[in-house]
Amino acid sequence: MQRLIVLITTLMLAACSDPRQQVTTQLADQVLLPAHQQWQSRNMTLLDSTRAWCSGDQELASLKQAFHQSQSAWSRLQPLMVGPLSEGNRSWQVQFWPDKRNMVARQTEDLLDEFADLTQPQLEGASVVVQGLTAFEYVLFDEQTAVTENRDRYCPLLTGIARHQLTLSDQVLALWQQPEGMLDKLTSFPNARYANADEALGGILRVQVTGVDTLKKKLGTPMGRLNSGVPQPYQAEAWRSRHSTENLQASLAGAQAVWERVRSLVGDAGLVADIDQAYKTIRDQLEALPAPLMELVQDPTRQAQLQSLYQNLDALETLQQDDLARHLGIQIGFNANDGD
Amino acid sequence: MPLTRRQLLGVGAAVAGTAALGGWTVWSGRGQSPLLLSARNDDAGQHYAVGYFLDGRRAFATPVTDRCHDICRHPFLPLALFVGRRPSRESYLVDLRDGILLQTLHSQPQRHFYGHAVFHNSGRWLYATENDTREPGRGVLGRYRLDSTRLQLIHDGEVSSHGVGPHQLAWLPDGESLVIGNGGIRTEGGSRKEMNLPAMAPSLVIMDRQGELLSKETLPQQKNSIRHLAVASDGTVITGQQYHGPAWDKVPLLAIKRPGEAYHPFPVSESQLAIMNQYTASIAIHSEKRLVAMTAPRGNRFFIWDLDSAATVVDAPMPDCAGVGAVPGGFAVTSGQGKCRYFDCTGGAVQSHWLTLPDGWWDNHLWLG
Repeated sequence: MQRLIVLITTLMLAACSDPRQQVTTQLADQVLLPAHQQWQSRNMTLLDSTRAWCSGDQELASLKQAFHQSQSAWSRLQPLMVGPLSEGNRSWQVQFWPDKRNMVARQTEDLLDEFADLTQPQLEGASVVVQGLTAFEYVLFDEQTAVTENRDRYCPLLTGIARHQLTLSDQVLALWQQPEGMLDKLTSFPNARYANADEALGGILRVQVTGVDTLKKKLGTPMGRLNSGVPQPYQAEAWRSRHSTENLQASLAGAQAVWERVRSLVGDAGLVADIDQAYKTIRDQLEALPAPLMELVQDPTRQAQLQSLYQNLDALETLQQDDLARHLGIQIGFNANDGD
Repeated sequence: MPLTRRQLLGVGAAVAGTAALGGWTVWSGRGQSPLLLSARNDDAGQHYAVGYFLDGRRAFATPVTDRCHDICRHPFLPLALFVGRRPSRESYLVDLRDGILLQTLHSQPQRHFYGHAVFHNSGRWLYATENDTREPGRGVLGRYRLDSTRLQLIHDGEVSSHGVGPHQLAWLPDGESLVIGNGGIRTEGGSRKEMNLPAMAPSLVIMDRQGELLSKETLPQQKNSIRHLAVASDGTVITGQQYHGPAWDKVPLLAIKRPGEAYHPFPVSESQLAIMNQYTASIAIHSEKRLVAMTAPRGNRFFIWDLDSAATVVDAPMPDCAGVGAVPGGFAVTSGQGKCRYFDCTGGAVQSHWLTLPDGWWDNHLWLG
């Protein structure tokens, strides 16, 4: 028995002393799970705030602030959403972007025309287009809704969306924290999902790199990179609330939080310096943007500035996807990103 | 005792006769671990045609110029064609005993490969799905004759695939009719860029190998590209789709055609469909156990269902799962990112364990036998 205990202790020590397992566990405990918890907690505040505004107990500015907080937590979470939130189309229920044909405005109004006093089951049965923060933002910020005068029309939807977001985040958090949930899968190996810490770390990095790629798209789409350079201001994420840049900053901070933990695994000082510098440059460039993104993309004098930001995001993506992955000997998606 | 290449050539010369059957039997030996053939990369981006025994021993890893996709085994000679992935104009005929590259097969002018091919069971003919890149674009089956003395494939005509963007093809049990997934997407000859998404026309075609169309069926969703398929020994066909419409649409990503019946969706649950992220990769059928297995690399998910009842047998997370193949006891699955796995289906509950194959960089398909 004593020998068994010694053996188990030795094995546990060996596991603890594996730096990759340590980093993976730290990421799960100290970065990924807290980001999910923060998202859930902001959604709780959003529901409270929505109810308060709808019953006349709160200013619209406070509700808008609660919305920004939820949106920001969701933006931070995007490069960190390993597991449940990225599966089963859940993330589409949080945000509908890109919205190429202004479906959010159209479908929101159609839904409310159809159901004058919208119930939760009616919202749950509707399209993801109207269930998430993008529809919430439309109601709150679009001039055509005149939400203060039309509180009765829009409140059932706002409350329904806030409740849907909270339920979704409760469910996702439960899938993280339940026995053999996502947290266990990222901290104890092998398990049904990951053979070892390397696979789990690969999974985290893959989501993080995808998050950086999404940042490129969120910047590049309104710049017109998909439309022969013709700016598409209404394709910017969160254009109605003029919060595109703040969202990009929150997502970048989420991606950087992963890098901050992974850095200790990298023996190449040059690579570390390059990635550190890439984050700093992008952070500074985002900080220096003088106006909302949808306005900047329409200003010819700002094109070089935006172009440079895009190129730096692209460089960061390459540094992590190619150089960092190779250095760590970890594959970041092969068939998933480029299948046939 | 392994054959020398000269002996192999001798066997090849007699390819039409039953004597040729000896070649593979001698080579594979008795009780040997199954051989797994696949396209694979290394982390520097070099492409390989590889053979590994399922117990982890490497048979060969032959560097090739272009990334390959599926592997087409000769029915009895130790040869396989590693088929170039869209839009490659090269495929590689490899001697499976040592990995020697016997031939780089070039596509015809204004044609490129789509990554899949099959040998006819006579061993004399090979059929490959190809893109006729001229206007307005059409799918063809390139026909190749195996020169039995030189062991070289020689282009010997082509027929229409009766659709655009033909992808995987397989023999029906008669060994003379082919079932083909026409993905319906026209792509540029020099790139992988789609040219016709609004006008996609996917179809499931059954035709004889002379080119005569026997049936052509479609699914209701015009953007649901029919790509991969497998055929059970009773002729049941399962197809896997890749949907090019919105990510949140609920569309059938698997479909089934039982012999004599209409082609229709295979009933998997909505939650399983949602997890696939509109993308299915490789399909394998275990005819004796009546099981169908499928990889969904974008959803990081591997599935096994009962072919007849559609009941879920396995629904397992697996990072970037890629190729799947059946062996008598179950299924082997490779991964582009992590460890390869084996799913043992011999007992009541399916047992899974990791294989000692190298981790990651495995491409979407494998041949196992």
